[in-house]
Amino acid sequence: MIELLPAIMAFGVALVSIIATWLAVQERDLLLAILFSALQSTCYALIYYLFMAPDIVLVYLPVSVGILPLITILLVKKTERYEE
Amino acid sequence: MNDLVYFLFITVLVSMIINTAIALYGVFTKPSLVKKFIALTIFSDSINSFAILIGFRRTPLGYSSIAVMPSLPQSPEDLKNFINTAVDPLPQALVLTAIVIGLAVNMFLVGLIILFHRHYGTTSVKRVRI
Repeated sequence: MIELLPAIMAFGVALVSIIATWLAVQERDLLLAILFSALQSTCYALIYYLFMAPDIVLVYLPVSVGILPLITILLVKKTERYEE
Repeated sequence: MNDLVYFLFITVLVSMIINTAIALYGVFTKPSLVKKFIALTIFSDSINSFAILIGFRRTPLGYSSIAVMPSLPQSPEDLKNFINTAVDPLPQALVLTAIVIGLAVNMFLVGLIILFHRHYGTTSVKRVRI
C-alpha cells in the first residue's frame, strides 16, 4: 500500500488541477481566475515533487504561485476587473 | 498492483493533455487579453510538466529516486544500481531554464497589455475600435 501512495496522490492532484484550469478559463471575475490559476500551479508543484524533481519545485513555487499572480493582480488593478 | 500504478500514472499524463487543451481553448476563444494571458501561463506550465513526466521512470525495482548521488560509488554495482533507479535529470534542467525564461516573457506580455489598455481603453479584443 505504501508504494501506491505517491501514485494515488498524483492522481488526485491531477484531477484537482483539471478542475482548477477549467474554472480559471471560465470565470468572469478575473481576480478569481487568478486565484484558480494559483491553485492549479500549487497542484503542479506537488506533481513535480511526486515525480522526483524537488529542484523544480523550489523554482516553480515562488515564480508561479508568488510572482505571477502578484503581477497579474497588479495588471487587473490597472486595467479591468470583469470580463465582458 | 502494478497495473493500478500504471493506470494512475497514465491518468496523470492524460490530465496534462486535457489541461493543455483547456488552456489552448482559453487562448483562442476568450476575448479578454488578461484571460488569454492566464491561459497562456497554464499552457506553458502543462508543457513543462510533460517534459518532467518524460524524464520520470517507473522502474521494476520500485519508485525512482532523485538523480543525485549521496556519496561516491564504492563499486560498479552501486553505479549501475543508481543509473537503473534514478530519474533523468536533463528534462529537469531544461524545465528550470524554461520557467525562468517564461517569467521574463510573461513580464513583457504584461507590459504590452498595459500599453494596449492605455491606447484603446479596453482589454477586450472585441471592443477595439481603431
